[in-house]
Amino acid sequence: MKLRNAVLLVAAVLMMFVWAFPVVWGLLTSLKTERDVLAYPPSVVFEPTLGNYADILFGATSILPNLVSSVIVSGLTTAVTMLFAIPAAYALSRLELPFKRGAGFYVLATQMLPPVGLVIPYFLILRGMGWTDTYQGLVLVYLTFALPFAIWLLVSYFEEIPREMEEAALLDRAGRLRALWYVILPQAKGGIAVTVIFVFLNSWNEFLFAVVLGGNTVRTVTVAMFNFISLEQTQWARLAAAAMAGMAPVIVLGLIAQKHIVKGLTVGAVKGGGRR
Amino acid sequence: MTNPRKGERRFALALFLPALLLLVATTTLPLVYLLWTSVQRIDLSMPWLTGFAGLANYAQLGGDARFWSSLGLTFIYTATTVVLQVVVGLALALLVMQVRVGQGLLRIAAILPIVLAPVVAGLFWRSLVLAPDFGVMDFLTRALGLGSYNWLGDPQLALLSVIAIHTWQWTPFAFLVLLASLAALPPDIYEAARLDRAGPWQRFWHITLPMLRPAIVIVVILRMVTALSAFAAIFAATGGGPGTATEILNLYAYRLSFTELNLGYGAAVATVLLVITLTVSFGLFALRRGR
Repeated sequence: MKLRNAVLLVAAVLMMFVWAFPVVWGLLTSLKTERDVLAYPPSVVFEPTLGNYADILFGATSILPNLVSSVIVSGLTTAVTMLFAIPAAYALSRLELPFKRGAGFYVLATQMLPPVGLVIPYFLILRGMGWTDTYQGLVLVYLTFALPFAIWLLVSYFEEIPREMEEAALLDRAGRLRALWYVILPQAKGGIAVTVIFVFLNSWNEFLFAVVLGGNTVRTVTVAMFNFISLEQTQWARLAAAAMAGMAPVIVLGLIAQKHIVKGLTVGAVKGGGRR
Repeated sequence: MTNPRKGERRFALALFLPALLLLVATTTLPLVYLLWTSVQRIDLSMPWLTGFAGLANYAQLGGDARFWSSLGLTFIYTATTVVLQVVVGLALALLVMQVRVGQGLLRIAAILPIVLAPVVAGLFWRSLVLAPDFGVMDFLTRALGLGSYNWLGDPQLALLSVIAIHTWQWTPFAFLVLLASLAALPPDIYEAARLDRAGPWQRFWHITLPMLRPAIVIVVILRMVTALSAFAAIFAATGGGPGTATEILNLYAYRLSFTELNLGYGAAVATVLLVITLTVSFGLFALRRGR
């Protein structure tokens, strides 16, 4: 029995190692000089330097403008998404909405669309409107994945709120909008916060739309990773530093929301798939 | 005095319609435009040829060996990554159920790959793990006496590598969902089975697996949709290459449209992918509802 526990523990530690390895190794690489990166065998002991971070933040290939781009795109996407998703999710979860099943199914279907099927028409549409490489253009496209996702995630949180609460508010003739504002929203604060985190995270990590529909003005941090790769040479240490700096926000957000991550990832399938 | 039910319906519509209209405008209309594009000849490198092409783009698919190969790769990529994620994820979840200590740490490690942008995951693997000469994988195989390999440069190894990257990134998802469902199973059933002297295999086949079925189906549906829309990690690791060795339909449609600037034909390929994705997901949903 002792042996069995030891084997299990080793297996668990091994799997933790495999999952964390690229990130940990990326962190180590970001602290190496370009010379140390290319050492063979790969070195674990080396003199750490913050030079790469200084370069990617304040040097000639600074990714600060890209971080700003990402913050603007993700922030705007999140704000617009929540503005439309909260009322829609409330109607879908708590009110007598006509064609409710069909409406819910439609929202779910829009969540399944392969992005490459959208990026081609958007390339032509935004070009026609003169909206390529603009914030409004990219935010519009980001709504295609953020909005359906947010609606379904919020529906699952709204459904958890006890009905008596809003019934009491409605009996007080508080009006439906006031009931939503003063009763439902405060109750769903946690769920709304989680939704905000996920929408922001998904927007931050997006790549295909950003690389095709962005440009020199709107160049998000995921696209900026390729600044450090060219045909002649790749600056691995700087790339690693840029990746760590670019991913720090989502890693922090992910750790904050870790308890909710399973729910956030399975949403839609649980509800939209009908019976459990 | 208006009917309160009627009032509620009107209120519900007023709340739902803005989002609905926005979704129609941002997703459905562009898809209609995709279909329209797919029956056009739009080649930005030869703009003078632009015009209605009827079904010519679709007819061209039939004789396009690169299309059939990318369709096959999409199938291989989706099937292997989904099966691997479910099998490995389930095995790990069963294992971790036995380990009482350190589950919090495990969850944190599991979340790291999930929150990472796929493009960064692809770059990390390309540079740190699979790069020839200084990558960790090469160090391992050399240390084990297996020799040095060009993981992303050899066509077959490259396909294996992008499958490994996708599996690495998304197995934690399957693991976390299945772990949560395992933890929610009622313990008394196992007690009863033990009293009936059911062995561990019997318990797994006749109790655990059937009770996990709904969770497994969810995982399969979501993982399939993700695998079918996979793009950034492959783009970052191999760019679809070497040659077309890792060019799944997403990559092919992208390269056609934005490298070769043949948007009409790219739209036709994307439409095929769209039809496959929607058929597969609705098929799985229907299957699930039928049970």
